[in-house]
Amino acid sequence: MELKTILFYLFAVIMVFAALRVVTARNPVHAVLFLVLAFFNAAGLWMLLQAEFLSIMLVMVYVGAVMVLFLFVVMMLDINIEQMRKGFWTHLPLGAGVGLLMVAEMAVVLSGRYFGLQNFPPQNLPANHSNTKELARVMFTDYVYPFELASVILLVAVIAAVMLTQRTRKDTKGMHPNDQIAVKRNDRLRIVRMVSEPPEVQAVDAKAEEKS
Amino acid sequence: MKTLYLLIPLAPLFGAILAGLFGKFIGRAGSHVVTVLGVAISFVLSVIVWKDVQAGHTFNGSVYTWLETGGLTLEVGFLIDRLTVMMMLVVTFVSLMVHIYTIGYMADDPGYQRFFSYISLFTFSMLMLVMSNNFVQLFFGWEAVGLVSYLLIGFWYTRPTAIYANLKAFLVNRVGDFGFLLGIGLIAAYAGSLDYATVFAKRNELAAITETVTGWPLITAICICLFIGAMGKSAQVPLHVWLPDSMEGPTPISALIHAATMVTAGIFMVTRMSPLFELSDTALSFVLVIGSITALFMGFLGIIQNDIKRVVAYSTLSQLGYMTVALGVSAYSVAVFHLMTHAFFKALLFLGAGSVIMGCHHNQDIRYMGGLKKYMPITWITSLLGSLALIGFPFLSGFYSKDSIIEAVHASHIAGSGFAYFAVVAGVFITAFYSFRMYFLVFHGNERYDQAPPDPHHAAHDDAHHADAHDTSHAKGHDDHHEDHGGKPHESPWVVTLPLVLLAIPSVLIGFFTITPMLFGDWFGGAVVIDAVKHPAMAHMAKDFHGASAMAIHGMMTLPFFLAISGVALSWFFYIKRPDIPAAILKAAKPIHTLLENKYYFDKFNEVVFAAGARVIGHGLWKVGDQVLIDGVMVNGTARAVGWVASVVRLFQSGRVFQYAFGMIFGVFALLTLWFNRA
Amino acid sequence: MLNNFVMPDLYPAAPEIFLLCMSFLVLFVDLIFGATHRGLAALLTVVTLLGCAAITIVTADGHTALTFSNMFVDDLLADFLKLVTYLAVIVVLVYSRQYLADRGLDRGEFYLLVLYATLGMMVMISAANFVTIYLGLELLSLSLYALVAIDRNASRATEAAMKYFVLGAMASGLLLYGMSMIYGATGSLEIGGVAQAMHHGQSDKTILVFGLVFLVAGVAFKLGLVPFHMWIPDVYHGAPTAVTLLIGSAPKLAAFAMTLRLLVYGLFGLADDWQKMLLLMAVLSIGLGNLAAIAQTNIKRMLAYSTISHMGFMILGLMSGVVGGVVDPFTAVNAYSSALYYTVAYVLMSLGAFGMVLLLSRAGYEAENLDDFRGLNQRSPWFAAVMLVIMFSMAGIPFFVGFFAKFAVLLAAIKAGYTVVAVVAVMFSLVGAFYYLRVVKLMYFDAPVDSAPITAPMDMRILLSINGVAVAAFGLFPDALMSLCTTTLLRSL
Repeated sequence: MELKTILFYLFAVIMVFAALRVVTARNPVHAVLFLVLAFFNAAGLWMLLQAEFLSIMLVMVYVGAVMVLFLFVVMMLDINIEQMRKGFWTHLPLGAGVGLLMVAEMAVVLSGRYFGLQNFPPQNLPANHSNTKELARVMFTDYVYPFELASVILLVAVIAAVMLTQRTRKDTKGMHPNDQIAVKRNDRLRIVRMVSEPPEVQAVDAKAEEKS
Repeated sequence: MKTLYLLIPLAPLFGAILAGLFGKFIGRAGSHVVTVLGVAISFVLSVIVWKDVQAGHTFNGSVYTWLETGGLTLEVGFLIDRLTVMMMLVVTFVSLMVHIYTIGYMADDPGYQRFFSYISLFTFSMLMLVMSNNFVQLFFGWEAVGLVSYLLIGFWYTRPTAIYANLKAFLVNRVGDFGFLLGIGLIAAYAGSLDYATVFAKRNELAAITETVTGWPLITAICICLFIGAMGKSAQVPLHVWLPDSMEGPTPISALIHAATMVTAGIFMVTRMSPLFELSDTALSFVLVIGSITALFMGFLGIIQNDIKRVVAYSTLSQLGYMTVALGVSAYSVAVFHLMTHAFFKALLFLGAGSVIMGCHHNQDIRYMGGLKKYMPITWITSLLGSLALIGFPFLSGFYSKDSIIEAVHASHIAGSGFAYFAVVAGVFITAFYSFRMYFLVFHGNERYDQAPPDPHHAAHDDAHHADAHDTSHAKGHDDHHEDHGGKPHESPWVVTLPLVLLAIPSVLIGFFTITPMLFGDWFGGAVVIDAVKHPAMAHMAKDFHGASAMAIHGMMTLPFFLAISGVALSWFFYIKRPDIPAAILKAAKPIHTLLENKYYFDKFNEVVFAAGARVIGHGLWKVGDQVLIDGVMVNGTARAVGWVASVVRLFQSGRVFQYAFGMIFGVFALLTLWFNRA
Repeated sequence: MLNNFVMPDLYPAAPEIFLLCMSFLVLFVDLIFGATHRGLAALLTVVTLLGCAAITIVTADGHTALTFSNMFVDDLLADFLKLVTYLAVIVVLVYSRQYLADRGLDRGEFYLLVLYATLGMMVMISAANFVTIYLGLELLSLSLYALVAIDRNASRATEAAMKYFVLGAMASGLLLYGMSMIYGATGSLEIGGVAQAMHHGQSDKTILVFGLVFLVAGVAFKLGLVPFHMWIPDVYHGAPTAVTLLIGSAPKLAAFAMTLRLLVYGLFGLADDWQKMLLLMAVLSIGLGNLAAIAQTNIKRMLAYSTISHMGFMILGLMSGVVGGVVDPFTAVNAYSSALYYTVAYVLMSLGAFGMVLLLSRAGYEAENLDDFRGLNQRSPWFAAVMLVIMFSMAGIPFFVGFFAKFAVLLAAIKAGYTVVAVVAVMFSLVGAFYYLRVVKLMYFDAPVDSAPITAPMDMRILLSINGVAVAAFGLFPDALMSLCTTTLLRSL
């Protein structure tokens, strides 16, 4: 068994373990930290696949930026974890059952013999081959359209984020003459036409009340 | 030309829409103007098309493909040939006359606009029916005229009798339509097309097929199914029971729909299908026997009727029987010829009857009329002409068509023609007798209009009528002749008499001028197919024909003429000379009279067997089908299913995301498992 | 290395590029004039869409053009669907203008997000690559998530947005997973390449079917088929009606395009498998949609369930293309065009139905309960008639467009031998007719509970009237639209 194989299994085992802990950890801060661990191992796996650039990006972007942000958010919010986990054990048997069955099915299908990986042998690239440059070349030529689309998606995300979070403070004391003038009578007042109650009914009611 | 064809049915449709939907806006005058204009346009255009067809330009093609669904094409198409164009002329002309007449007849009715809208809609439907080049459109027209007829019979929907009558018409026609639809279905299934031309082109193949279920030759099954449709629409025994009751509708529609046009749709359809009917002697014999029974026995019933419209209605039944007889002996052109002449004189008689009814302040009982001749001269003379045409007086149009039918039957050798010959000849005498019985009772003899007892039936009608009229409060001016019940009869306004005069002209003349081209010239061209070897009646007749005048003169020496004359004479003797005799005969022949009074117990039979049977079955179905199956399983079951599904859905539609997510995962899991072994 | 770069042909993608550029204009215009000129963004958005329509019409030449390294396809199907999409979005904007203004939601962001959602649909419609399909879907979905939450003070809306987001992300994950499986099996992300690889039979069927299951699940989520339907009632109900109108209309076209591109263009070789999967989901959707709709008292929820059943019907057409493993081009085109016809017809009816809900809503009042339709005939006979037409059409009563749509897909299903399925579908649609007709009954036979006059602006009234008339007119003349659908597919397959 060569070193690469040993490393692969090492990374893989740690990653699966970390991922499991992300969902089972009681403390959300722990969960985030386990996620960081999972990302590190994933980066290691990618490195083994000769995807150096992606691997480093994973560490930089996800671990360095996204997860730190997550950590802040989780720490700042006071999440009642017990509340969130209510019902976990009641739903676990069904969920776990279906999940395990699915994993089993997937495992059978994906056990390698169907993929025909021998058709796609790894290329033996020279040591000075630049993964980054190759990616860049493909991204800005062949994949320029998806690249642009992705940028539009990010723009939408920005717009949506601004729209959903930016709000004028409610406790300012300023007046809005525009709104005050624009008010129509119908906004404030609605006249409802009703049948006035016939007097004799009232009389009967009054009698009934007297009796009681 | 194609635009023109399209315009012919659309003009009345447009009028119907305007009068029906916007009747309130355009008012009463507006309504009759647009509808009369619409029908007038299509009449004028029909004349143009007729000229064009005369010049040899026939047309067969689709105008608009409505829907194409693999194999079967549903389209609006026109087949314009001589048969079509003749029908178009008859329909539009009679319809135009009836439209004009209606202006006078319905003047004080609150449903004025509605009525005009209906009759214009009817004209549209009828034109679509006759102009069709495929079975789908034929069926559409067929159902559409049925619908309008249904609406019009129940026009005075506050009268229970009218509602009963239109329900009856509806139900009886359903029986016919069922057969008709079955026939069309057989054609679609075996010929693979619903286009006339395509089906006719395959007729020899169809003739060779044996129907798998019944073991009959396919073509016989198709023809009999189609003819059952015709029996419903053209009121042949035993599906005739709806027609006399349909007289509950206003008189103009009795003239237009239940005498001149719609009821002849069956005759037209069989003529159109002549290429198919020619292939089946069995079907033709069936047609012949049904026709002759109708022609003879419905005539008898005319003798004892006292309602003026019912007399005419039974005579219509009998005449429809004549036409059917002509079809049965393969004399299609004669049938259509009689259809045309009958349309004119029967519309005339109905409109005349309507005029009499108006003149007598909506009294319809001929026992309380009499002597109207001097009060209503125009109505009198036109009715006389109509009656003479009906009984087949030489030189008048009815003579030519009816005598031709008798001749054709005489010349035929098809099974049943012997009985048919007896029926049609005897029918001549009966026709003459009841026609002139009515004529003498109405126009001659003592004036009995002041003896009319208050008839609950008519009183009810007038009450309903009046209540409506006063509600709308715009009938003041016209209403006067309702108020003075028992007043003197009076002649009708010109809008009523003008159509009478205009209809009287063709009733008298058209037979003389058209018999030569229509029967013995090549008028119908390819529209009518006759197997001359098997059915030589027409060829036989052509040999003996020496022109219209010769036929008329010869006609004066034949048996039918003497029978007609003796019928007239007998009725004169009975009802003018010795009015006491009928009463004596009545006493002597009580059972027969009872039989006739009850219309051979057809209604009774239907009520006891079909209606009661239907009720028994219905009750059973209600118990088992409705209460258990439908109420229990389907309705309550559906409700329960809804409740159950709703509860299940509510269970899952909990608003909790993790449950939704689980649902999705489970869906994937299920699919994965189902396909796990397939891969 | 870079000197073999060829500039992609931008011509086929002209409408997308135009829309993107205009969206920046809208962004800036709203930034500068948004506070003072409120209608400007709306106007510009409509102009943009009209411009796109013009460009699409001008550049449509009936030929199939591939560009951006075969990631983008411009064929007749794309042009047709895009045109319908523009139209639907314009209608959405007109219907919702007053509604948004009454609730202070007519901010520039709304129009921007609508534009980006439209762009996402266009990308999906024109996608020729798994990557573009996915990105288009994400663009559309992200815009919709944000739109659902646009009324951020309404807790029901934000909750719906959250659900939509979480479930949508999951569905995207499923879709992506399926795509990666198929990539693994065929070695191609291009739809054409996938089809080719399968045609040559060099890929393993186990992996393909495995990927297919996930792919179908992702597609089914977007269409809202049982059991991937659960977001629909909550989101339709929770979102502001204007947004519901958008979600319920145009995206169905994009979802149809996505389904067609993925399954028919790409995985035609597996037709036998995905047809059966769709069959299963179609029956479940028709059944559940119709039965559950009856129990609803909220018209938005009712229409949500009716959407589920309608999409089930649409799928009946898609699953009838290949009969018994034999590929007959005539049958296939017939079946797929019936599904296309159904989709277009559904969008038309859905616009009208939600448009009616918007029509009856006014400032401070949401007319979203069935009771709000009571006695509509007395308040406005014309719009009661419009609603009647739409309800009849949705119920599949003859001579409205919905009848012919149902007829077409059922005929396709029967031709493909699914007679039992067709009968079951008809039975359920009879059950379904109940809740459509109930609306009619409420409108015509009940006394109004709300007597306020209808205050919708004129442009909306006119457009809604046209919408109703169109539902009737396409029913009277079904052949025009139907042959358009057939021709489109015939020349795009």
